[in-house]
Amino acid sequence: MPTRRDFFSRMGDGLTGAALASLFAEDLGAKQALYDLTPKKPHQTPRAKSVIQLFMNGGPSQVDLFDYKPALAKYAGQPPSRDLAAEVRAVRETGGLMPSPYKFSKHGKSGIELSEMLPHLGKVVDDIAIVRSMFTTHLAHEAALFLMHGGRILPTRPSLGSWIVYGLGSENQNLPAYVVLDDPKGPPINFIQNWQTGWLPAVFQGTRVRSEGSPILNLHAKQEYPGGIVDLSRSLLHRMDAGHRDRHPGNVELEARIANYELAARMQMEATDALDISKESEAAKNAYGLNDERTASYGKRCLMARRLVERGVRLVQVYIEGQIWDNHTKIRQGLEYACGKTDQPAAALISDLKERGLLDSTLVIWGGEFGRLPIAQDPGPNAGRDHGPSGFSIWMAGGGIKGGTTYGSTDEIGYRAADNKVSVHDFHATVLHMLGMNHRNLVFEREGRQERITDEFPARVLTEIIA
Amino acid sequence: MAMWPVAFFLMAAGTFESDVLPLFRSKCFTCHSEKAQSGGLSLESRESILRGGKSGGVIVPGKPVDSLLMTLVSTGKMPMGAAKLSAIETAAIRTWIEREDRKAPVSERDVTAILSAKCWVCHGRREKMAGLDLRTRESMLKGGKSGPVIVGGKPEASLLIKRIAAQEMPPPKLQEQYSVRGLTDDELAKVRQWIVDGVRPDNEKPLEVSVADDAAIKPKDREFWAFRAPLRPPVSALRAPARNAIDVLTMEQKPLAPEAADLTLMRRAWFDLTGLPPSPEEVEAFRADRDPKRYEKLLDRLLESPHYGERWARHWLDAVGYTDSEGGNSGDQLRPHAWRYRDYVIRSFNANKPYDRFLTEQLAGDELFDYRSAKSLTPGRIELMAATGFWRTAPDATYSTEQNFIPERMDVIAGQLEVLGSAVMGLSVGCARCHDHKYDPIPTRDYYRLVSILTPAYDPYHWLPPVFPCGGVGAKCDENGTRYFLPKATPEWQEATAFNDPVTRRIEELQKRIEEKAAPYREKYLAEKKVKEAKLGELEAAYEPFKREKAAIDEQIRKERANLKPLPLVRALFDLGPEPPPTRILMRGDATSPGALVTPGAPSILNASGRDYRLEPLAHSSGRRLALAKWLTHPEHPLTARVAVNRIWQHHFGVGLVASPGNFGRMGSAPENQKLLDWLASEFVASAWDVKGMHRLVMTSATYRQQSGDSGFPLRRIDAESVRDSILKIAGRLDTKAFGAADPIKPQPDGEVITESLRRSVYVTHRRTQPISLLETFDQPFMNPNCVRRGLSVVSSQALHLMNGDLARDNARFMAGRIIDAVGDDAAAQIERAYLLAFARKPTADELQAATFAMEGASKEWAKDLEKNQPAEPVKSRSRWLGLATVCHTLMNSAEFLYID
Repeated sequence: MPTRRDFFSRMGDGLTGAALASLFAEDLGAKQALYDLTPKKPHQTPRAKSVIQLFMNGGPSQVDLFDYKPALAKYAGQPPSRDLAAEVRAVRETGGLMPSPYKFSKHGKSGIELSEMLPHLGKVVDDIAIVRSMFTTHLAHEAALFLMHGGRILPTRPSLGSWIVYGLGSENQNLPAYVVLDDPKGPPINFIQNWQTGWLPAVFQGTRVRSEGSPILNLHAKQEYPGGIVDLSRSLLHRMDAGHRDRHPGNVELEARIANYELAARMQMEATDALDISKESEAAKNAYGLNDERTASYGKRCLMARRLVERGVRLVQVYIEGQIWDNHTKIRQGLEYACGKTDQPAAALISDLKERGLLDSTLVIWGGEFGRLPIAQDPGPNAGRDHGPSGFSIWMAGGGIKGGTTYGSTDEIGYRAADNKVSVHDFHATVLHMLGMNHRNLVFEREGRQERITDEFPARVLTEIIA
Repeated sequence: MAMWPVAFFLMAAGTFESDVLPLFRSKCFTCHSEKAQSGGLSLESRESILRGGKSGGVIVPGKPVDSLLMTLVSTGKMPMGAAKLSAIETAAIRTWIEREDRKAPVSERDVTAILSAKCWVCHGRREKMAGLDLRTRESMLKGGKSGPVIVGGKPEASLLIKRIAAQEMPPPKLQEQYSVRGLTDDELAKVRQWIVDGVRPDNEKPLEVSVADDAAIKPKDREFWAFRAPLRPPVSALRAPARNAIDVLTMEQKPLAPEAADLTLMRRAWFDLTGLPPSPEEVEAFRADRDPKRYEKLLDRLLESPHYGERWARHWLDAVGYTDSEGGNSGDQLRPHAWRYRDYVIRSFNANKPYDRFLTEQLAGDELFDYRSAKSLTPGRIELMAATGFWRTAPDATYSTEQNFIPERMDVIAGQLEVLGSAVMGLSVGCARCHDHKYDPIPTRDYYRLVSILTPAYDPYHWLPPVFPCGGVGAKCDENGTRYFLPKATPEWQEATAFNDPVTRRIEELQKRIEEKAAPYREKYLAEKKVKEAKLGELEAAYEPFKREKAAIDEQIRKERANLKPLPLVRALFDLGPEPPPTRILMRGDATSPGALVTPGAPSILNASGRDYRLEPLAHSSGRRLALAKWLTHPEHPLTARVAVNRIWQHHFGVGLVASPGNFGRMGSAPENQKLLDWLASEFVASAWDVKGMHRLVMTSATYRQQSGDSGFPLRRIDAESVRDSILKIAGRLDTKAFGAADPIKPQPDGEVITESLRRSVYVTHRRTQPISLLETFDQPFMNPNCVRRGLSVVSSQALHLMNGDLARDNARFMAGRIIDAVGDDAAAQIERAYLLAFARKPTADELQAATFAMEGASKEWAKDLEKNQPAEPVKSRSRWLGLATVCHTLMNSAEFLYID
């Protein structure tokens, strides 16, 4: 019978209890009795090891940020076409075509045009690839978010993040594999459904990590037991569980359970350390904007994201205060607030990853669930823009992405993706590809059905933006 | 690539009638005639070819290179399973396509697809505004108050075109409210073209499906075991250790492990039937009983316990996807009245309602009597309406006007059909929504025949969204606008309305007073701003005094509202009366690509002569769902009984005899022991679908009584609800109050979702976006749309919850307190009782020693800690209590507590 010492010496070899379970299930997608987060072999050589997704809930306005449309000035005030009108959500408040109030200029060696609202991004533009021809299929936030995260406009599908950690596991067993850093000022639309596992096993769900207070739910008790009580209790528990396991020889689940109690204890240490940004230099804090009220909150989460991928966390999603990009009215003020909050930290993250040699192995993704229409909503001094699902922009960087490129375009007025249209399924296939996975082969068998993030939709890897 | 001599093209004159059609007739009609329509494609006429099949258009006029048909014949993929067409034949098709100048004709079907989504809401089954009905060609020719709205050949003279082109229809003002959008250029052009072409009728007949001769199903398909009625296998004589037929059939495959100890069996039976551990008194009473039938007596007691229904209802609620919120939207609106269905299910299990009756009530409770006649309304019949809550479980965001378009409504129907398929039929029918099922013989046609069973009640064009016009506050209820059944003839209803009526009147008075106060301000505002109308909000913004006055009255209104008694609304599905909408196959599941018309029917593969789906219209209802219930509960239905007994088996043994309980089809798991499954199914039917009888049969078998281990009974972790409920029970805090509105949940600032309820988890709100953190961590399912088999995870967050979370910590103190109350200060007696509570057994000497050591150590630590504060209360007794609580907390974390042997 293995003793406690034997057991932990095995764990010291990197064979955790969860890994014991995985001995039964090495192959990706095979029927598994138990699921775990030990590292799995990708389908092909990966370009990226980890992902930081800067998710911009609300629908950032492409024509005001990434997609310069001088023609809008020419057509200013003209009524929209019947097709555009049929796509408008708030019919009663619709106005005519509205040019961007911002100046666009060329940046970097690549000369990519960006709006004056993104000065910091301009400095790292040679590291990013902008896709200007994304489109989605629903004009409601909820449905579009479900599509962006789960591949269908319905809830209940596993999120992209869950698929990624299901496929690859994690490099660090003492931290959650899939971390969600949401904004203390308000969660995104659809809330936890954005990182849920659907019918994938619960172990692949995103773990919400708070940037204030105790980072992980119940990582610490609200009131710690005094003195040596925790040790007394743990040692009694171990004795009881070991006895129970010995009465059920060969039961992998029981072994895994015992190991998980040890892991929980280690996580208390490591998670606390990983998320402690007080250990960062002043220079780093300044770069991320931690000393500026506008950027401090978002900057802190970007910095935490870097600390997490540095420690082998597979995927970090950074969310933003509610849906601050949802600028139905007063788009000028709205964009000033949203860009003011995110531009500097996002650019700092890229520079920081690059300096640390992590950018090559970290895929950074910036984007929302759709874009905005080129017409005015609620026309007048407080004009905004309504949801625009037919064409929008996102950018990616690092992890094998070819910096300083743009891909695809929208029509003359920035309403609809025109050339080299990119579907959400293409986007998912591309992200998986960068991580060394083929979207057709990343399958989960459910009630006799082979499930995929891209389901049966056609999906294409955007080889044009890969270095 | 081979070059073809020019002569080939000259030879191939390429006219459709003389060259191409004969070719199609000889080579393609076996599958693509008007009758066969494989893949939805008929090659019999230019029109049908231009219309295309399920994969869309097959030719692009003038562009052979872009034409799917051309690709398929030139690569030899078609004709399927036959010789490739010759170069001359291929060239003839190419030439014809090059010269074909007709666009795909616009049919009545195409026009109806557009109008149904954009116009029927006001000009259809529900309402005929301006006397106009836009559902058929005839009704459009007849027109409304302003005369006919279409004139064949004359789009300019057709009112329909005029009003749409002017963007007057659908009225922009109403588009948001009714979830309707204007017509696109393409859609308008289609309607116009149909009129230009002379408003030709389709004269379409629905697809006929014959039970005896169905071209869509191959005879070989019908031979698959799950699609044939189970035959009762012969059972050889009992021989030890067999106790009943289950054992005989099990032992044909493998020997049985020895029987488990009585106390082990007792705990197993408790959890299996009630989801709770036995109390120490119950353990003692069982030990003291010397009757050799004490185990059987225990089963009888447990089956009569009200906790039995709570436990087994939970399994069924998983299978049908019951939750207390709508989902599908970040609002995740609560379903405050869904609990009546939950209570119906619990009562049905406790009453041991025969399974065939149980199904019938859920599928068609409203069709079992004339629900519209108030006189017939008895409490039993209100239960029947509640039973139809079965059809109201799927995620449903249609309360949001942004997510209430036709595709989203079809998604709700799809969710419900997935529930029906996986929970009742053991078939995944959802795949057939977009394409013929890849693995099982379920053509798309059969999916839409099932849809058609639901459309008299789930009408996509006459949709009752899950909004709550009564506001739960008793104000006015629009009877035609809600999916809640209003049991007006009941005393409960009358009492509530009698109470509410004066309150409602006072609220109306107050609202009137606001308008009165607003009048002078409005006058001033209109004059100053030179505008025609002004909303209250604008006046509030403009005039501070008005804002204050209004706020004061609003506060009064709020107070009055809080007084209103909630009405006893029943969330139900009911037939909406005559003229259900036509149901069409939707190509690729796309609501804008209508295919052939279908009639209500059951999947052909499960149909058979003598027990086919047979519609018998009722005076008060379409009878479509009742016919479904009759079809499903026919004693020879191949799947209903098998799926039901498999579920019972699964919840006793952890895994069903078919490991994929929602899919008995070809891609499902093969049955581990088909003879046993079939014997159980036939026994179930023969016993008149006696559910409790099946528990007795299973649990008295030697198979169930085996010791746990690899080859015996599977060791299992208790499920999420049992974790919480058991902790409450052993802490002496479980509130056994049954039924009624779901207890609230309480999201905490740190993100944890808890409840302060002490009732069983089945009575606590299960909100999709706010699952109780502890339950979620222990694999309570997300309902998507349902869950026929729960996942099992072993994750460190479970350890964190039980070690650091409040539920275990706090209740350990309660548990220790009750133990001291029961046995006093004796440490050994305390530990013994803790073991009895947590494990239903006494500790061994070693275990007693280890636990005592930990308790004494912990007490000392607590004493040191308490003394720091020099408290008024006695330190010694308090520290002993806390020391015992530490041990209780440890027991709650132990594998033995969380696993059933």
